[in-house]
Amino acid sequence: MKRAIILVAMAFLGLVMAQGRTVNLLWSGAITGPTSDVGGPYGAGVEDYCRYANEQKLIPNFTLNCTVRDDQYQNPNTQRIFEEALDRAKPAIYLGYSTGAMLQLKPLINEVKMPTIPASAHIGLIDPPNNQYMFLPVSSYSEQVVALMEYINRTTKNAKIALVINPSPFGRAVVDHARRAAQRLGQTIVDVREVGSGNLDNTALLRALDAAGAQFIIHQNVAGPVANILKDAQRLGLNRKIRQMGAVYTGGSDLIRLAGDAAEGFLWASSYYTLDENAPGINLQKQLAQKYNRSADILNSTNYTAGMLAAAIAIEAMKRAAQRFNGRIDNETVYQALIGMNGPNAFKPGFAVSTKAGIEIDFTRSEQTGAEGLRVLEARGGKFVPVTEPFTSALFRQVRNP
Amino acid sequence: MRNPWAQTGNYRTSYVQDTTIFANYREIVSVVLLLLALCILPLFLERSQVLVLNFILIYAIAVLGLNITTGYAGLISVGQAAFMGVGAYTVALSAPSLPFWLTIPLGGFTAAIIGFIVGIPSLRVKHLYLALATLAFQEIFVWVVGRSPALAQGAAIPVEMRNFLGLEIGFRNHNYFWYYVVLFVLVLMVIAWRNLLRGKYGRALIAVRDNDRAADAMGMDPGRTKLMAFALGAFYGGVAGGLLAYMQRAVVVEEFTLSRSVALLAMAIVGGLGTVVGSLLGPAFIEFLRLYMERLSEWMKSNAFIQSITPAGVDVASALLPLSFGLVIVLFLIFEPRGLYNWWRLLRSYFRTWPFRY
Repeated sequence: MKRAIILVAMAFLGLVMAQGRTVNLLWSGAITGPTSDVGGPYGAGVEDYCRYANEQKLIPNFTLNCTVRDDQYQNPNTQRIFEEALDRAKPAIYLGYSTGAMLQLKPLINEVKMPTIPASAHIGLIDPPNNQYMFLPVSSYSEQVVALMEYINRTTKNAKIALVINPSPFGRAVVDHARRAAQRLGQTIVDVREVGSGNLDNTALLRALDAAGAQFIIHQNVAGPVANILKDAQRLGLNRKIRQMGAVYTGGSDLIRLAGDAAEGFLWASSYYTLDENAPGINLQKQLAQKYNRSADILNSTNYTAGMLAAAIAIEAMKRAAQRFNGRIDNETVYQALIGMNGPNAFKPGFAVSTKAGIEIDFTRSEQTGAEGLRVLEARGGKFVPVTEPFTSALFRQVRNP
Repeated sequence: MRNPWAQTGNYRTSYVQDTTIFANYREIVSVVLLLLALCILPLFLERSQVLVLNFILIYAIAVLGLNITTGYAGLISVGQAAFMGVGAYTVALSAPSLPFWLTIPLGGFTAAIIGFIVGIPSLRVKHLYLALATLAFQEIFVWVVGRSPALAQGAAIPVEMRNFLGLEIGFRNHNYFWYYVVLFVLVLMVIAWRNLLRGKYGRALIAVRDNDRAADAMGMDPGRTKLMAFALGAFYGGVAGGLLAYMQRAVVVEEFTLSRSVALLAMAIVGGLGTVVGSLLGPAFIEFLRLYMERLSEWMKSNAFIQSITPAGVDVASALLPLSFGLVIVLFLIFEPRGLYNWWRLLRSYFRTWPFRY
C-alpha cells in the first residue's frame, strides 16, 4: 500500500513537472535595419509557427519558449544575442539568419554543439570545417544557381551567361560552382558583376552584358537590385534579348511588387510552394496570417513561408527528441532527432516541394540540406507559376566536390 | 610640495613637471582604482555582458588611434575600420603559425605600413578632400578583400586559439580570457599614447593641426608628422582589429565596412576628440546607446499601440537606431563639441574642491 502511494505520488509529481517544462528556441535576425524586408516576414513566420505550436501542443508536455530577437543585421549583435541565450535560457536549437554572422558563428556553434538552422543558404555553412551542427532548410544558393543553368541547358545549348551577384559573401557564394557547372555544360560565363542596393541606373551594366553576348543573366541577390535591373532592361528593350533569372531571395512577391510588369518572364529557383498552391503548409500559413492579423505583404512573402518552415523543422525535431529520449529536449537530443529525420522518418510539413522520391525535408549526419527538391517558376501575370516539376540538381553534387 | 596627497590643483613649476604622465598623485590613485575595478568587474557579469565590454574596449583602442590621426593631427579619417580590417586579416593569415602575442602586434605593424601609404595624400590635400581620400581607401579595402580568394572573398576565416600556456580556452572562459588580454593591451596602448603625445611629437601634431605652415616655419616637418600620425593611428586600428578577430573567432569583411568607420568617428566625437578619457567614454556610450535602442526598437515592434499609430509602410523601429545615432552626434557637435570628456572634467573639478565651491 505504502509503495503504491509513493508510486502514485511520484507519477503525479512527474506529471506536474512534465506539464510545467519549457523548452527554448532562439531566432535572431534582421527585423530592422538592412535586409529587414526579408528578416521581418521571416521572423514573423517563426513567431507565428511557435504560437501555433504552443496552441496545438505540438510538443506534448512542453511549453515552447520562442525568443525572437532583432540583430539589426549586425554581426556583433548576433554574437551577443546568441551568447546571451546560451547564458540565460539555453536554447535546444538556434534559428539563425545572415550569411556573414552565421559564417562567423560557425566555430562557436560547433563548440557548443548547437543545432542551427540558418536563413542563409550559403554552401560554406555546411562545408567543413565546423559544419557539423548546421542544417540548411532548403537547397543552397549554389545548388539553385546550378539548377538554373541546367534549366537553361534544356533549351539553349552552349549558352552565354552573365552572373550578377550581391557584393558580399552571400552573393559570391555561387560563383565558383557556377563556373564549374558552366564548364561541364559547355556554357560560357561571359561576365560576373557585383551589384548592391542603390543601383538606380543599370544602363551601363546591361549594355556591357549585351555587348559581351550574354543571353541569360543569373542573379544571386535580394529582390531590390534585381527589380531595378529588370526595369532598366525593359526600358532599354533588352528584356526580350536577355532572359533573367535568380536564386531564392531574388524572386517572390517582393520582386513582383518592386518591378511591376518588368518582372514578367523572370525565372526563379525556389523550393517553396507559392501562395496560390494548395499545400498543407501554405494553407496553414494563410490560416495563421489571418489569425494573428498579419498584413497582406507578410502573408504574400515567401520569407514568411521560409520562417515557418525553419520553425516547423526545429519544433518537429524537438518533438521527436522528446519521444526518443524520454522527454529530454536539449541540443544533443535535438541534433540526434535532426540527423534521424530521413527515409521513413522524413518530415513533410507541406511548405516546400518534395523530391521524386516524395521526400520534402530530410537530413542525415552528412547531408545537411533539408528540402533538396526545387522548381523553376516564371513570373506570369503578376505571380510566379511553376514551369518545371520539382527536381534535384544532379550536376551540383558533381561540381560541389569535383 | 609638503603634502602631495592634499594637492587641490596642478602647481607646475618646471617643464619636466608639465610633461609628466600623471598630473598629481590623486590621478595615479584614481587610475589604479579604475584598473582594479576593471579587473574585478567580469566577476560580477555574465559571459555575454563581458562580450559587450570586450567590444567597448576593442573599439576604445581603435578610437585612441583615431584620436591621434583626427583628434591630435586634425586629419579626418573615415578609414579606421579598414585599418582594423588590415590587422584582423593579418592575424587571420598568421594565426595558424604564430602565437597571438606576435600576431596582434604584427597586425598593428601591417596596418601602420598601409596607414603610412594611405597618409601620402595628406601631404597635398586637407579637410574634406583628405576625408574623401580615406573614404576611397575604405572602399578599396572592402573591394580588394571581396576579390581575394586568399581572404575567402570576405567570407569567414576562422581564427581559433584553444590553448595559452596550458590554459584551455573554450566557450566558458573565452570572453573572460580575451577581456583580460584586451584590457592589458588597452593599458599598454594608453600609456604609449600618453607618453608619445606629452613630448615634442605630440606638440608637433598639435602645431601641424593648428597651422602646418607655422609649424614648418618653426622647424617641424609637417609632411613627416602627418604620415606618422596616419601610421600610428592605423597601428592602433590594426591592433584593435587583431583582437576583434580572436574575440569573434573568425574574420568577416562585414565587420570592417564604412559604417564601422563612421561609428568609430562618432565614438571619438561623442567621447571628446583628442582625449584618453573620451576614447573610453565614447565607445561605451555608443555601445550602450545601441543596446538600449535595440530594446526600444524591439519593444516598438511588439507594441500593438505603437504599430497602430504608425502610418502604414513607415518602419519607425528600423529607423530608430540610425536616427538616434545621427541625433546624438549632431547634438554633441552643437551643444557639447568637447564631448563626454568635458562632462568628466567638470565632474572631476567639482569633486576636487568638494565640499567647497569655487
